Amino acid sequence: MRITTRALVAAAIAGSFAVLAAGCGGGGAGSNGGGPIDQVITINWGTEPPSLDPGLATDTTSADVLLNIMDPLVKLGDDLEPVPNLAKSWDISQDGKTVTFHLRDDGRWTNGDPVTAHDFEWSWKRTISPDLAADYAYQFFGIVGASEYNSCESGCAAMRDKVGIKALDDTTLRVELTSPQPWFVQQVAHTSFLAVNRATVEKYGNKWTEAGNIVTDGPFRLARWDHNSRLDLAKWNDWRNADTVKLKRINGRMISEGTTAVQAYEAGEIDMTAGLPPEELPRLKDTDAYSQYPGLGTYYYGLNVKTIPDVNQRRAMAMAIDRRTIIDNIAQADQLPATGFTPQGMPGFDEINPDSQWLPAAGDIDQAKELMSKVANPNKNISLLINDSPGHREIAVAVQAMWKELGLNVTIRQQEWAQFLEFLGPPPDASVDAYRLGWIGDYVDAMNFLELWTCKSGNNNSNYCDPSYDALVAKARQTEDNTERYKIYAQLEDKLYGENGAVPIVPIYWYTYVQLERPTIKDSLNVNLLSQTDYSKVEEVEPS
Amino acid sequence: MTRLIIRRVLWTVPVILLVILMTFLLMRQIEGNPFRHSERAIPESIQRNLEAKYGLDDPWYVQYVRYVRDVATFDLGPSLVLRNRDVNDIVREHFPPSLELGALAMLFALVFGIPLGLLAALRANKWPDYSAMVVANVGFAVPSFLVATLLIYFFAVRWGDIFDVPTSGWDTWQSKILPTIALGLGPMAYFARLTRGSVLETLQQDYIRTARAKGLRRRRVVVVHTLRNSLIPVVTAAGPILGFLITGSFVIEQIFAIPGIGRYYVTAVTARDYSVVMGLTVLLAMIVIIANMVVDILYGILDPRTREAR
Repeated sequence: MRITTRALVAAAIAGSFAVLAAGCGGGGAGSNGGGPIDQVITINWGTEPPSLDPGLATDTTSADVLLNIMDPLVKLGDDLEPVPNLAKSWDISQDGKTVTFHLRDDGRWTNGDPVTAHDFEWSWKRTISPDLAADYAYQFFGIVGASEYNSCESGCAAMRDKVGIKALDDTTLRVELTSPQPWFVQQVAHTSFLAVNRATVEKYGNKWTEAGNIVTDGPFRLARWDHNSRLDLAKWNDWRNADTVKLKRINGRMISEGTTAVQAYEAGEIDMTAGLPPEELPRLKDTDAYSQYPGLGTYYYGLNVKTIPDVNQRRAMAMAIDRRTIIDNIAQADQLPATGFTPQGMPGFDEINPDSQWLPAAGDIDQAKELMSKVANPNKNISLLINDSPGHREIAVAVQAMWKELGLNVTIRQQEWAQFLEFLGPPPDASVDAYRLGWIGDYVDAMNFLELWTCKSGNNNSNYCDPSYDALVAKARQTEDNTERYKIYAQLEDKLYGENGAVPIVPIYWYTYVQLERPTIKDSLNVNLLSQTDYSKVEEVEPS
Repeated sequence: MTRLIIRRVLWTVPVILLVILMTFLLMRQIEGNPFRHSERAIPESIQRNLEAKYGLDDPWYVQYVRYVRDVATFDLGPSLVLRNRDVNDIVREHFPPSLELGALAMLFALVFGIPLGLLAALRANKWPDYSAMVVANVGFAVPSFLVATLLIYFFAVRWGDIFDVPTSGWDTWQSKILPTIALGLGPMAYFARLTRGSVLETLQQDYIRTARAKGLRRRRVVVVHTLRNSLIPVVTAAGPILGFLITGSFVIEQIFAIPGIGRYYVTAVTARDYSVVMGLTVLLAMIVIIANMVVDILYGILDPRTREAR
C-alpha cells in the first residue's frame, strides 16, 4: 500500500508540473521529421470530401482530390489562362456562341475504356438533369436549353435532347451557349465539367465513388478512402502522360483541427498542411516551412442600403475602417487591403481596379467624420451580423471600435452559419444593418464578382439596386473582346467605389492562402489563384 | 430479471417514437437550409429538385410517418449533405471508433478512479487523501480540450522521440492512448470523489466494525465488505457517464482527428443534415436506454435487496 501511495503522489506531482510548464509556454519546434526521398508524401486534406462525384461536388476539398484523379478538358495556367489538357485545342465560332473542343485520343479510364466526347456529353447532361438534383447544375446554365431541362416537370427526355451539348464523334465536343461567354473555356476547368464513367455510375449508383468502385482517368487513382480518416492517391502508371508524374503516392489525412494539424507537421507525421490557425501564424511565419500565396477572393462587409440610405454615411463607414491594422494584428496572413471589389490577380485587374478614395488602406478617420457630419438623419444604431467561425468576431470588434469614432453604436450579433444565411436573405432581415461575408471566385473573370450586385442576384444581400448597373452587366455579358469588357468592368467598379460611388459593400481585404510545407517538397505551391494543387507537378527533392 | 429486461425493452419503443417526433419538430423549428452551405445562393429550380429528391416537399406529418416506417426497417435514409452516403453507412463505419473510445475512456476512469478514491478514503484527511483529491479536482476542473492539446504537445511533439505516440488518428494502439486519457480524465476524477465519499460512509457501518471485531484480514474487510457495498453510487453514475463518453466525445474526436460518430453529429446539426441528426439521435437514445438498463441489472447483482424488491 505504501509504495502505491508514493507512486500515485509522484504521478500527481509530475502531472501538475506538466500543466505548469505548459502555462509558461515554450516553443519547441519539434522534430523536423519527414521521411526518405521516396516520392511518397503525406498531406492533410483538412476534412472529408463531401462527394467525389464531379456532378455533386461543390467544395474545395473534393475539388482538390478530383482534379488529381480526373482528367479535365482544360487546366488553368499560372495566370489563369486556359491551357490544353485532355482537349488538345478548341475553336470558338465567329459570334462567340459555339465552342468546339477537340479531344486527344489517348485519354483512358482506369478500367481500360477510352475517354471520349460522348463521356462528356453524358456526364454534363447528367449533372444538369433534375433527377441528380446537383447544386452546381447552374454552372451549365450558360448553355442552350440547360436551365429549361433542369427545371422541367414533364417532357424531360425531349428537353434533354435540346440541351446544346453534342459529341460529334469520339474526339469532338460541340457546346452551344446562350450568349458569347469569353470565360466559358476557363470555366470548363472547374470540377463540375469533369467526365464520369457511365458504366460505373450505372452499375454502382450512388456508391460509385467508393474506393473499390470508382473508375477515374487522371494521373492518380484513388487507392484508399477510409471516411473521415484517410484518403490516399497512388500514381496511375497507365495514364496518358504518366512519364512526367514524379510522385508515387500521396497519403492523405483528414485533420480538421488546425492546431492538431500544425502539431502533426511538427512531429513529422505530415509533410504539408494548409489553412493555419491565425493564433499560430506569428510563430510559424519565420520558419522555412511557411509559405503563402494570393487567393482570388474578397472579404467584405455589406451594408443594408435600405436602413443606411445616406451614401455619405456608407462612405464614412468605409473610410473609418483601418484595414492595415486589421490585417497586421488580427488576420495576420499578409492579406492585401482591398481598394475595390474585384481582387488582385484577376485578369484585367489593372484596368478594372478603381483604387477607391473611399477605401484607404489605413483608413482616414478625419475625412470619415467630415462625411458623417453631412448626414442629415444618420442611422446611429448599427446591428452587425457575423457568423461564428473563428476570426470573424475579432475583426468585428475592431470595426465596432472604428465605427464608434463616427458616433455609431454597433451591436455585434453572431450566429451559427445556417441561421446566419437565413438572416442574410436576400433580401436581408430588416434587423440587419451590416453583415460580413466573403466571395471566392468560381471562374476566372471579374464577371463572377461584379454580377453579385445586380438587383436580382441571389447573392446581393445589401438591397442595392441600380438598373444602370444591371444594364452594364448585361452589356459586359455580350462583350467578347477582353479589353472592351474590362472597360465595362471598370465602369461597374466606378459605380460602386468611384467619386460618386454608392458604396453598398465595403471590401476589407483580398484573401491569401497560407500553408506549411516540408522544404523537400518541390512546387506543391504550384497552386493557382483558385487554390487548386496539381500533384502531377509535385516532386520530392533532396534537401538543399 | 428476465421480465424486467423484457419490460424495459418494450418501453423503449414509445420512448424512441417520442424522441424521433421531438427531434423532428425541433429540427424544423430552427431556421436553415440543408442544401445551402456556402454564401452562394441556390437557384430556385435546383432547390426544388433537391427538395423533391429527398422528399422535403411533403407535409411534415407525411415525412414523419415515412421516417418512422423506414426506421422500423433499419433504414435511416440518405445524408442530405454527404451526397454519396447513407446514414446507415455512417453509423456502420463511424460508430465503432466512438464506442471503442468511450469504452477505453470508461475503463481508464474506473481502473484509476476507484483505487484513487479508495486510497483517499482509507487514508482520510492525511496527505495521501489530499494528494489524491488534488489530482481528482484538477482532472475534473480542467476541460478535456485543454488536456488533449497539452497531451499532444508534450507527448507527441516535444517528447515525441521518447514516447512514440502520434498526434492524431485512430489506427494503431499507440494512437489510442492520448485520446483515452484526455477523455477519461474527467470521469476518473468523478469516480474517485464518488468512491471516496461512499467508502467513508460504509466504513462507519456496524457490519464493518463487526467484521473487524471478528478478526477478518484487513484486505478482506476492504475488498469484500467495504468496496462492494460502496460501489452502488459508482454504478449508478456509470450508466449515464458511459452514454456521455460514447456520445459526447465530439471535442476529443475533433482534436485527435478520430473518425467517430460525434464529429458527424455536431457537423450535421450545423449543416441541417436532418436525416443524419435524426438517425444519430435515435441511435444515441438507444445507447442511453441500454446503458441504464445495464445499470439496473448490475444493481441486482451488487445488492440483492433491489433484486427482490422488483
